[in-house]
Amino acid sequence: MNGYWGLIWKQFFKSRMNRCALIIVSALFFVALLAPWLTSYEPNQYDLDSILLTPSSQHWMGTDDQGRDVMARLIYGSRISLSVGFVAVGIYVLIGIFVGALAGYYGGWWDMVISRAIEVMLCFPTFFLILAVLAFLGPSIYNIMIVIGVTQWTGIARLVRGEFLKLREREFVQASEVMGAGDFWIMWKHLLPNALAPVLVSAMFGVADAILTETSLSFLGFGVPPQIPSWGSVLSQAQNYMDIAWWLALAPGLAIFVTITAYNIVGEGLRDAVDPHLK
Amino acid sequence: MLRYLTRRLLLLIPTFIGITLITFVVIRLAPGDPAAMKLQAAQGTISSDRAALEVIAQTRKLYGLDQPISVQYISWVKRVLTFDFGDSYKDHRPVLEKIAEALPITLLLNVITLFIIYVIAIPWGVFSALSPNSVLDRLSALILFILYSLPSFWIAILLIVYLGGGDHWNLFPIAGLMSDGAEKLPWHGQLLNVLWHLVLPVLCLTYGGFSFLARFSRATLLEVIQQDFVRTAYAKGLSRFRVMVHHAFRNALIPQLTLLGTLLPSLLGGSVIIEQIFSIPGMGRLGFEAVLSRDYPVVMAIATISALLTLVSLLLSDLLYLCVDPRIRFERKGK
Amino acid sequence: MRWVTSFLSVLFLSQCQFQVEKNSQELVSRISLEPDVLNPILSTAASEMEIESFLFDSLLKTDNTTLEFQPNLAEAWEISSDQKQFTFHLRKDVLWHDGRPFTAEDVLFTFEKIQDPKVDSAMTRSYFKDVLKVEKEDDFTVRFLYRYPYFKAIHMLGGFQPLPKHLFQDEKVDFNQHSFSRAPIGTGPYRFKEWKTGRSILLERNESYWGEKPDIQQLSFKIIPEPAVALQLLKKGELDVLELNGLQWARQTDTPAFRKSYQKHRIDSPAGGYGYIGWNLRKPIFQDRKVRQAMAYLIDQQAIIDKLLFGLGRVTTGPVSSATDGYDHTLPLKPFDPEQAKRLLKESGWEDHDGDGWLDKKGEKFQFNLLFPSGSNFYEKFAPIFYENLKQVGIDVHLQRMEWVAFIREAEQRKYDAMIGGWSGGWPPEFYQIWHSSQSDQGSNHVGYKNSEVDRLLVEARREFDQSKRDAIHRKIHRIIYEDQPYLFLFETPSLVARHRRFQNVIEYKMGLDVKEWRVNASLPD
Repeated sequence: MNGYWGLIWKQFFKSRMNRCALIIVSALFFVALLAPWLTSYEPNQYDLDSILLTPSSQHWMGTDDQGRDVMARLIYGSRISLSVGFVAVGIYVLIGIFVGALAGYYGGWWDMVISRAIEVMLCFPTFFLILAVLAFLGPSIYNIMIVIGVTQWTGIARLVRGEFLKLREREFVQASEVMGAGDFWIMWKHLLPNALAPVLVSAMFGVADAILTETSLSFLGFGVPPQIPSWGSVLSQAQNYMDIAWWLALAPGLAIFVTITAYNIVGEGLRDAVDPHLK
Repeated sequence: MLRYLTRRLLLLIPTFIGITLITFVVIRLAPGDPAAMKLQAAQGTISSDRAALEVIAQTRKLYGLDQPISVQYISWVKRVLTFDFGDSYKDHRPVLEKIAEALPITLLLNVITLFIIYVIAIPWGVFSALSPNSVLDRLSALILFILYSLPSFWIAILLIVYLGGGDHWNLFPIAGLMSDGAEKLPWHGQLLNVLWHLVLPVLCLTYGGFSFLARFSRATLLEVIQQDFVRTAYAKGLSRFRVMVHHAFRNALIPQLTLLGTLLPSLLGGSVIIEQIFSIPGMGRLGFEAVLSRDYPVVMAIATISALLTLVSLLLSDLLYLCVDPRIRFERKGK
Repeated sequence: MRWVTSFLSVLFLSQCQFQVEKNSQELVSRISLEPDVLNPILSTAASEMEIESFLFDSLLKTDNTTLEFQPNLAEAWEISSDQKQFTFHLRKDVLWHDGRPFTAEDVLFTFEKIQDPKVDSAMTRSYFKDVLKVEKEDDFTVRFLYRYPYFKAIHMLGGFQPLPKHLFQDEKVDFNQHSFSRAPIGTGPYRFKEWKTGRSILLERNESYWGEKPDIQQLSFKIIPEPAVALQLLKKGELDVLELNGLQWARQTDTPAFRKSYQKHRIDSPAGGYGYIGWNLRKPIFQDRKVRQAMAYLIDQQAIIDKLLFGLGRVTTGPVSSATDGYDHTLPLKPFDPEQAKRLLKESGWEDHDGDGWLDKKGEKFQFNLLFPSGSNFYEKFAPIFYENLKQVGIDVHLQRMEWVAFIREAEQRKYDAMIGGWSGGWPPEFYQIWHSSQSDQGSNHVGYKNSEVDRLLVEARREFDQSKRDAIHRKIHRIIYEDQPYLFLFETPSLVARHRRFQNVIEYKMGLDVKEWRVNASLPD
């Protein structure tokens, strides 16, 4: 199976755009990890005498309306945005794989019930549901992760279900069954690895979407508490100052769109790399 | 075919129950009591002239909130089946009336948006597919990704401040869908007035959608092009144009149409953010304000109506797919 | 691309042909939320009451300058010597907007509806809970009977807005759902014209008004949720008057072009209210007075006013408005002094015993939740600063932003540790609801303040009809509360308004602006 992934990555790396995007994605991880070493400012270090300063050598991206260094907030903010993205996606990937596997492998009654559940989730006006649940739980970074995780698993579930249904009829699976292998073993060893590639693609887009969702939630007042510097909250706080402090909105906006674009490119590149191999 | 249809229709029922039950539970469990909320001032301070919480208990009785949850749910479902969604807790108007006011506005916005997205994205995707991996293709992919990643409220505020505001260019209106006093204009004047109001909100709603659809149509067309029947057509000596238009496009169109089916539900959603910023009284804003004020009947009605219509459109799109894709038809017959 | 620009240009040029002229005789203002109802006894929102003040008259009105009572619907009134009976003689020439005459029957009917438990009038009911009964002496005389002498009784009754009885005669229609609430009929200087759902509400001048007719012919209230958008609309000329927040006032309305067309007004009203941080006194952490006093040293109030509020605010040390004589100006503001705070905390037993950077006492870390409602730009800025200040002394505060409804619920259920809140004042000022111990479980005294001396003073104030004596009592209350620090009092903020210059006779009264006095000049003065 190693060869399989090797081939995918080789195909992926052929495109320069993909390579750049992957570099950006990895760079973001390092930024998030090494935050304290990248800036001498604390994200919440306020200074009422340095309010709304334009970018300068002291503050590379200027200061916000409380005198906090914008770049520091963005650097620490990468931790928040990336965690929201990955945890939320992690949750729904796990749920999706579990549910999809059950439906795809066992079929019959399981499939019927699970397909109905998927339909139910699909019918919901999702953003609306997220708002309602956050109103109930109270907005916090954990609740946001959980809510996104709990509402977005349907895509993965359908993918996995589809894969399992297709592959189940293949000879190698039937051979395993005849040899007496347990269900879990078959799913784990044979079916799941094949399903993983499209799941990974979907997850990449998912991280980008989760970051965008967090941004919208912050705008509506349902985001993280104000001392936590998520990119979404920095951007939404900046919109009051659009005309007098352009750097406040530009910086987080750039951060968001570079990150999301990078993730989307990686996702798309992976998808292109994976597809021919599945045929 | 008929058996399939009836089976699908029957399966709608458990899904419907699932939807209404979930929404009901979620809203009920939320904190914040509509009765208590009515007693407080709305602007960020609790006015000290109000007192008397014993009166809140009276109000709760008024709203029927003192009965057990299961009873409330059943009585609600009974009313839904007769299309009676009750009255809004906020202003006591029938919920259906409020939705009937908001829905056409959202529909208008979304139909125009969807139309524009299709009109722009599909050709975009097709042209990309015709010369895959060229510089132009890669550049357009980059542009599409960038468009997708720009948060809509950010763009909306930028547009308002720079193109519709008082300090810079003042080209576009920035609130609502019609100017005050526009009713006095002749019908074509009114139409133009509304269209002019639509430019900015529609712009904000469309740019993000290009990405998905353009990439999708590019991908499907590419997939079709690579298939055998296309190569056969070329081998037969047909011109590129004929092959593309008659063979490739037609087949690539199928998934686009069925995709339309799954996009129909989003027509009713209404974007909360855009409607909030541009002061448009559509379904998005209605739903948002209902959640904030725990206006249970309105929230339930919006969730239910959206869900129902979504179910119907999913069914339609499945059927459409069935009718249109001959392979599936034959496969089923074979079974 | 060319398609798009040519389409847009064609659209632009053609719609230019159909420009709508703005009516200069109209005053366009903004409300942020659509009203639910325009019925004074059902209303709870400020925007509703604002509109209703133009449509409905009250029994008495207050003079803008002297704040004394003037006749309105009642041309004369008497108060009995025991201060419990109030007799109003109503004008005989008042007509409802539909032409029918206004009589004492309408007053009785309205009061009856307020008390009716089936009517959704809980808030109005609480205003009049101390009224024992209302009687009609003849068609134009009514008498109210109060439970006990209450200095504010005449104000409550003066503000009573009657409804037309003759429109509610149909027994079958539920009062709460009556279409009256969407198309109200009053006796006021303006009549209801149109309600465009989701967009705006229009009022037009009542040409057969019994009193002095206002100069402005039409009032339009546009529904604009976003304040940033509202400011742009003001600058474009689509709004004539707008309440500004601090940022907009200080930084975004300064261009010469703006000042040519608009005039700004700042009102520091004695009824303006104040912001505060409330400590839940039921929680052990806040039960020691020293801890609460220490907190007051952890905010640099003046700096916050200067830098975050752009100088638009006044520090306050107590619940009384600093614009009144009930405020004790001798009480000093506690300066920003973390060392003093640490000393007080240490005296209370809070020190960093285990060296982890946080204060602790008997093994427990000093941490608490601070609640605040969403939607306020100021709270968003203030809360993290408070958080940092407390962190520096070793206190861990968890900031919790909550949606308004959830926030109210937490306050009601007394579950919070601390909360940032604000009270909007009433006039004349009264402090019973917030500070009396009887209001601690169910009323507005949500922090649970219980001080028997303050209780006694509050009851005394309620029955004191002499303003200056009442002020003296209020000063005493101010002093005690200052020592006890159940709240960390923050600031009073002024009301900030911008209005178009074509409106004249705009006088800045103590309580605010009075639109009914404004006069319109179709052209801008030079």
